[in-house]
Amino acid sequence: MLIQTPAEGLYDELFDKDNRVRPQCRMLENWLLNSNEELIAEKRREADVLFQRLGITFNVYGEDKGADRLIPFDLIPRVISASDWHTLQTGLRQRVQALNRFLHDIYHDYDIVKAGVISAEQVFANPQYQPGMQNLKLPRNLYCHIAGIDLIRHSDGDFYVLEDNLRCPSGVSYMLENRRMMMRLFPELFTHSAVAPVEHYPNLLGETLRAASLKPDPTVVVLTPGRFNSAYFEHAFLARQMGVELVEGADLFVAQNRVYMKTTVGPQQVDVIYRRLDDDFLDPLAGNPDSMLGVAGLYAAYRTGNVVLTNAMGTGVADDKSIYPYVPDMIRFYLDEEPILKNVPTWQCRKPTDLQYVLDHLPELVVKEAQGAGGYGMLIGPKASKQELATFRSLLKARPQDYIAQPTLSLSTCPTFVDEGVAPRHLDLRPFVLSGKKIQMVPGGLTRVALEEGSLVVNSSQGGGTKDTWVLEDDRC
Amino acid sequence: MLSRAASSLFWMARYLERAESQARLLDVSLTMALIDVPEDRTEQLSVPLLVSGTREIFLDSYTGITPQNLIDFLLLDERHPASVFNIIRNARDNALHVRGNLSSDVWESINQAWLEMQELQRKGVTVSNASSVFDWIRERSHMFRGAAYGTLLRDDAFHFLRLGTFIERAETTARVLDIRHVMAMKAMEDHATQAFFEWTAVLHSLAAFEAYQNTYGHNLDAMSVAELLILAPDVPRSLHGCLREIASLLEQVESGDARGSRRLASSLYANIRHGDRDYIAERGLHNYLVDFLDRIQLIGGQIQKDYMGWQG
Repeated sequence: MLIQTPAEGLYDELFDKDNRVRPQCRMLENWLLNSNEELIAEKRREADVLFQRLGITFNVYGEDKGADRLIPFDLIPRVISASDWHTLQTGLRQRVQALNRFLHDIYHDYDIVKAGVISAEQVFANPQYQPGMQNLKLPRNLYCHIAGIDLIRHSDGDFYVLEDNLRCPSGVSYMLENRRMMMRLFPELFTHSAVAPVEHYPNLLGETLRAASLKPDPTVVVLTPGRFNSAYFEHAFLARQMGVELVEGADLFVAQNRVYMKTTVGPQQVDVIYRRLDDDFLDPLAGNPDSMLGVAGLYAAYRTGNVVLTNAMGTGVADDKSIYPYVPDMIRFYLDEEPILKNVPTWQCRKPTDLQYVLDHLPELVVKEAQGAGGYGMLIGPKASKQELATFRSLLKARPQDYIAQPTLSLSTCPTFVDEGVAPRHLDLRPFVLSGKKIQMVPGGLTRVALEEGSLVVNSSQGGGTKDTWVLEDDRC
Repeated sequence: MLSRAASSLFWMARYLERAESQARLLDVSLTMALIDVPEDRTEQLSVPLLVSGTREIFLDSYTGITPQNLIDFLLLDERHPASVFNIIRNARDNALHVRGNLSSDVWESINQAWLEMQELQRKGVTVSNASSVFDWIRERSHMFRGAAYGTLLRDDAFHFLRLGTFIERAETTARVLDIRHVMAMKAMEDHATQAFFEWTAVLHSLAAFEAYQNTYGHNLDAMSVAELLILAPDVPRSLHGCLREIASLLEQVESGDARGSRRLASSLYANIRHGDRDYIAERGLHNYLVDFLDRIQLIGGQIQKDYMGWQG
């Protein structure tokens, strides 16, 4: 098959800037060149049938019940060299460690605020800040047991953290099923290359969840919003792989500030809840009173220390857009180390010097509302009209504290099967970082790919697909 | 285990058993309608409607009991809960609910059945290809059982699943025998050959024809058929066989203070185990079966109260 070469000025995961195949990808290139289109088309159909049978589908909100859709799976893996992964892993450990320290600090001693690194207003006035978490002692001082860190590779070849997901990051089941699918469809590929395994993720997750409690043999459950949730497959998958119960809110109740599940032999106490529900839905008495998904009294039980929630309540404040620019400072402040992973440079318009820079360079920048989400109230400089630029100029001058600005990023590309053949498409990477007795992760993560030409949107709800992610054990192959 | 999970496993297995028995019943009825004299056809075709208690509902939306209408209603009708389409959908919904308790083999066998069922419904089923669809339903049912036996841990999840199978099966056997034996007795008065086919139909509907041949030889008589389907311990769909499983499964299920379902099941089991054909003849087969149905339904309800009673 022919492989379309990448556009100039972008980083491509397969080809270097002179369009030579990167050494760690040679085996992959050989495979692609030697595969004919019919075989690949057949394998793609086979993958679709298998995913359907396994029931690895997701529901799109607002569509017909029963309209289970498949997330497109691309057969060409994305390769990460052993040395790149080594850097990523060290950097991710460092970052998640600092984020956990930060969360503990802002609910206890406020050192980082007292030291003037972050303003009190930005922490305490943040809508995600949970005053109820203040002075609550958590086992091992851990808040964020499971983190999904979104990374992109910029045209300079470096990885940048785009976003930290510290609430209920999802997608790990796709990472596992994608690998299983590749091994089933192309076993011969794995005999010629040393791809680091990811299959032990559920073991590590189980270990992490048990370590979240100080009890010797805690009862762990996975709490799901139910089978109509778009990630239900993943909740059931992880529960089964770990051998723990998958519960819904209605399966639990609270008595004397303890949480019990309703079993065939009566109540059984629960010690750790891996919850896949947002803070607000966990307890109708404490959060959204209309929530049918949570458990009345859970918050009180949690405050009493009789149950552990993973992740903790109130982690959202640390993955907020307005806190993101401070993560490198957190690393320096808590760990006394230089950050290994780069942040996307962010200008905070609340600072006069930053504001001046943003006003001077507006046509090159992306301007976002600090508290906004979902791409509302956003200016994309290179695509904006003169009038839009003028409007934003006055908005920025009027309420600078409401805005941040970032350079326009270019996501790296990777060859992908599309209708026209094999062509480069943009992608990102979400590794999953587990914090228990120690910080652990499996090599790689979930690679999401934008299937439309030129598109930078990798979200599955908007037509994005996924790929298997190969971290090589050794670069000399 | 979670009460909700026990409930879903119980119902999932009931639905799958129901899909299989409905396919067998319909298959036999369509075949019998071909053999029968024309005026009796409607009676033959009514059997599956009577067993599932849906005759009135059927007549509300269909004009006439014809083979094609029956196929549409009992296999494919999306609007009606008694169709195999909806039975498999319900089984799959329940399976989805307890996916964490199922092995991937069991889940995939059920999910695959649902995917293929939708495909069948899109294509439609006619009198001429109905047999292959009945075969398909039986195969899916065997596959589910095989996957369950071959891959599930023998814990309470497995026990509740099997309880669902045998409660459903015992009810079906009692209903089919009750309805079909009346038709057979009537035929015996009029026509000996016809009666032979009627008894064959009873046995085929409950997958017990070969078992009868092995036990009694070719002589088909009413009391022997009843004896086989009620009292024989080693016939998979006999009431005795089902009750033996139910009683033994309830012994194995981990139990708190709940004793009700065990008591009811052991008592009914003792009744059958120590019963004989004279007792049944004395009471009258119909009365005997009606009494049995009351009691098996009570057991099914008590199991849900004892172990799954948290919901609502």
